[in-house]
Amino acid sequence: MSKIAHIKRRIKSVKNTRQITRAMQLVAASKMKRAQDRALAGRDYALLLARMLHAAVKRTDEITHPFMEDREVKKRGILLVSTDKGLCGALNSNLFRMLTDIEDDVDYYSIGRKGKQYLTRSGKNLVADFEVSDQVRFDEIRPILEELLNSYNEGKIDTVEIAFPRFINTMIQNPMIIKILPLVNLDEALALLKLKGEENTLDEEIDEREIKFEPDVATIIEELPKLYVKQEIYQFILSAKASEHSARMVAMKSATDNANNLVDDLTLKFNKARQAAITQEILEIAAATASTQQ
Amino acid sequence: MALRIQIVTPEGTLLDKEADTVVLPTANGDTGILEGHIPLITQLKRGQLVLETNGKEEQIAVDDGFAEVIGNHIAVLTEDAIDVDDIDLSAVEEAKKRAQAAYEEAKDNEIDPDELLKLDQKLQFLTMQELVKGGGEKH
Repeated sequence: MSKIAHIKRRIKSVKNTRQITRAMQLVAASKMKRAQDRALAGRDYALLLARMLHAAVKRTDEITHPFMEDREVKKRGILLVSTDKGLCGALNSNLFRMLTDIEDDVDYYSIGRKGKQYLTRSGKNLVADFEVSDQVRFDEIRPILEELLNSYNEGKIDTVEIAFPRFINTMIQNPMIIKILPLVNLDEALALLKLKGEENTLDEEIDEREIKFEPDVATIIEELPKLYVKQEIYQFILSAKASEHSARMVAMKSATDNANNLVDDLTLKFNKARQAAITQEILEIAAATASTQQ
Repeated sequence: MALRIQIVTPEGTLLDKEADTVVLPTANGDTGILEGHIPLITQLKRGQLVLETNGKEEQIAVDDGFAEVIGNHIAVLTEDAIDVDDIDLSAVEEAKKRAQAAYEEAKDNEIDPDELLKLDQKLQFLTMQELVKGGGEKH
């Protein structure tokens, strides 16, 4: 009897857990949809911006912009975009594993509590940490951008890089480090934006004639890189959010599935045990009747 | 259908269609684009973008941004854009009041200048929508 009661209790507790993971799965699924839509919507803008900058830079020699000058790298600046909450599979640990191998002199900036914990625990040089809500409003990102760009302009850091889980699709998120500043290799940056698996709706026209700039090159070159860098970082943070919710949705879905399997197994075990108990009882009664008749 | 025009905002691609002529509100004044225009990258000022297709005009209010003309392909990069036919003046009026209130409040509280600038831009874009819509209806 005690065995049956024990199994019954386990079934109940697994069912409770299943209820929680399923609720989390549903919440993550709805957040995921929104985050993915936003990440995808902003992509065209970022891509077009990159393309314009690329076209502008390629066809003029008279460019000097502090963001585009190559400089000797004494200290790297890395913005680590992680999640605030756990239960999202291996998303964060895959990301952090990428950073453990870095031996250079690095100033870290972080978004998300998990990243902050990792950086302080592993004794890395965390300069500033930020928190960003699920909505990722632009005004939440602005202080981060300002901090990064100011440090870059003042020479405190010589690169601006961003480490984040890049959203490919619901099942796949690739952790990667992307260098944003200095903007020396635009071809590479453009290729990165057009990452495989992401269809792109903006096709490129080929026209080798000289481009005319209005009002003049200087104005365009002054404005574009700044806009580009800001949009780029914003876009990557959106991508990281989409990754987070996708990873959590998938993790919670498999937890729910596992709970289902466990409940099935336990129910089978419970039925067997119950049947065994009944058979046992019948045997006992039959034996008792048999002995009284004799 | 000589030209293809795309208007792209951070919220996605707003418009992607073909047109015969396009008039862009650039920093140097309105610039008309026809088939075979030389490659051009230009700064846009908040204003009215006009598409003409088969003699039919379509007006779109755009915010500050950039435009790229390469081949017969025009790509417009802007913070915000709206089809003039979709502008609902009463909604704009409401939005303007809200933006104005937010702007005044922000100014009193001395929040960071970037935020203020953004609010101001939003307000101006709304005002422009009103102007464009109002102007369109007189014809």
